[in-house]
Amino acid sequence: MSGQPTAFEGETGHALKRFWESGPSGWNRTLTRPVVLVPFFVVAALVPLILQYVEDNSSWIGAQYWTLILATCAMYACLAVALNLVVGYAGLLNLGFIAFFGIGSYAYALVASDQIHQHFPLWAALLVVIVVTLAFALLVGVPALRLRGDYLAIVTLAFGLIMTNLILDLDRPPVLAGHQFGPDGLNITNGTNGLHNVAPFSLPTSLPVLGAIPHYRMYYWIFVGFLALSIFCMLRWRHTRTGRAWVAIRDDELAARAMGVNVFKYRLLAFCTSAVMAGIVGMIDAALVFNAYPENFAVQQTVQVFVMAILGGLGSLPGAILGAIAFTIPPYVLQQFVFYKYLIISVVLVVVMVLRPEGLLGTVSLRPRKVLGGTVELLTAESEEAEGHPVDKADAAEIEAVTGEILTPEQKL
Amino acid sequence: MDYFLNQLINGLELGSLYALVALGYTLIYGILELLNFAHGDVFMVGAFLAAGVAALFVHNEIAAIPGGLVVVLMLLVAIGGAGVLGVGIERVAYRPLRNANRLAPLITAIGVSLFLENAVFVWVSPASVLVPTHALVSQGVLRAGVVETPLTGLMLFGGSLGLMIALDLFVFRTRFGSAMRATAQDREAATFMGIDVDRVIMVTFFLASALAGFGGVLYGLRYASVDFFMGYGLGIKAFTAAVIGGIGNIRGAMVGGLLLGVLESLSGGFISTQFQDTFVFLALIVVLLVRPQGLFGQPVTDRA
Repeated sequence: MSGQPTAFEGETGHALKRFWESGPSGWNRTLTRPVVLVPFFVVAALVPLILQYVEDNSSWIGAQYWTLILATCAMYACLAVALNLVVGYAGLLNLGFIAFFGIGSYAYALVASDQIHQHFPLWAALLVVIVVTLAFALLVGVPALRLRGDYLAIVTLAFGLIMTNLILDLDRPPVLAGHQFGPDGLNITNGTNGLHNVAPFSLPTSLPVLGAIPHYRMYYWIFVGFLALSIFCMLRWRHTRTGRAWVAIRDDELAARAMGVNVFKYRLLAFCTSAVMAGIVGMIDAALVFNAYPENFAVQQTVQVFVMAILGGLGSLPGAILGAIAFTIPPYVLQQFVFYKYLIISVVLVVVMVLRPEGLLGTVSLRPRKVLGGTVELLTAESEEAEGHPVDKADAAEIEAVTGEILTPEQKL
Repeated sequence: MDYFLNQLINGLELGSLYALVALGYTLIYGILELLNFAHGDVFMVGAFLAAGVAALFVHNEIAAIPGGLVVVLMLLVAIGGAGVLGVGIERVAYRPLRNANRLAPLITAIGVSLFLENAVFVWVSPASVLVPTHALVSQGVLRAGVVETPLTGLMLFGGSLGLMIALDLFVFRTRFGSAMRATAQDREAATFMGIDVDRVIMVTFFLASALAGFGGVLYGLRYASVDFFMGYGLGIKAFTAAVIGGIGNIRGAMVGGLLLGVLESLSGGFISTQFQDTFVFLALIVVLLVRPQGLFGQPVTDRA
């Protein structure tokens, strides 16, 4: 496990050997260094140009197609990073996560299509998307975040379902108790069809050095740029007062409260930030595909993003990208398995959770804690665990003092 | 007034179904403090098992088996199958994570739910399957004054009520029931008293899932059609019922289920069918905000 003191033994070995022996949290630390991230994003930005070059110089055609796939992949990576903030950092199980993506896409579609005859400039549309998703996030978050963890999951799930119902039903004026609200022709969401002919962002379609930029490539770059920006912010944020507060709350709410952390405030901050991120991603998606669909709200999508974040490892940003790649590219390569996509996703989700709960690069261990010998454990660790409490730091120190055994970080969490 | 009474009866029928499934959520939550998201899908699998048995005997005309006997067979297969499925889910997805962070079993529960839905979607039928209920049970309509209801609806209500009473007696009057209640109160202490906690949890999962399976059979007989996604919406509504009644409280789940069924039916009948489900979920949110412990639950201590 990551907590083993391999760091000391590895000092003498080869750099790669040291890297391998540093374990998941060590890998995570290495992969989030600028030395790794900057080249990664540079290469990621160059990929469509390479694809174009290959297409121009061979008989292969598919640069456009693969750029679209990569854009989808980058989109899911953005969503996984946003989900990682709310689940991995703050420990909030937000099952209505994808609804914010949907809200963002519909908010943009409404102010950039003929549905209600509005065509806002890009900055105004972005502002609308942020304000609308934030409003919904506060609407759900303020009451729901006062509840216990399990209940939060169910309230957010119910919120997602209500949003789906509203999107499907608001293609006609609502009728309540025989009274009709709004004029006869009222059609906000266009029901099951979704909103069409959404205008793409009004950005320059050609740049001095790069020449003309095809539609997909531009949105791929927008997604990659957004991803880089969010990862940069997350990494900076993780080590601020706010980031430490989130981790403290996730690991032991009671202890955090006792230390004077305003649990509600920080939870709401994580919830709303993640929601707004998802909303902006939804907006970019609506502009990419010229549409906003009711499927944007499907709960399967939430599960899919969850699987990406969990396979990569909760609390790990490179993990989120890795998870997004692992679940976006294969379905396009293995077309014959598309039918089984969600079946495979669900099996992977359960198997990863049971066998390796921290995912590939996770920094959060959800693994069952080891049971120590002796009576101390019965009084502290075990009885607390049975209640679902994490072991207190104080308890851990007590166990260490009594048994002389050093606990691994996972046991202390 | 006639309309109101009929909506009320419809609501009670639907509510008894919610109550059956809600009991499963409440039993499992009471013992493990786990939201078993897959429970609604166990109900769906039960309904499919029953539909399969019905199709086998009715369409193939294997023999002139009387409809009543087929229904008994359906019940046996669905209850047994769903029960075994529930125990299997517990063994595979929840037991390895029993002492883990609360997030972990919640996530596997979502995974299991998605798996069951898609397994049925891929391997059984992506479309809804008709249950030949007309060949099995009387389609007669019972009239009492202005109120009328199909006999299958009455079966649903009566059967659910009977099972709920049986479960209540089992939990509160038998030795094993007191072992269950002891495990729910304090798993550690229950172990010290010589209770085999693993066995109690297994039996709880079997009971909860069997109730869902029973509900699945009656659902098929009453509404004549089953599909792979039916467990999802119904599961969430049943969960809502369990929360309204106070999660972990068996009698609360029964009352909550009936209340929710009536609420759904009346709001659909009098306010708007368009927003019927929205009202149900709004009710959930309102109850959680105003009285998170539900109508009959113990006050909730604030735990992470």
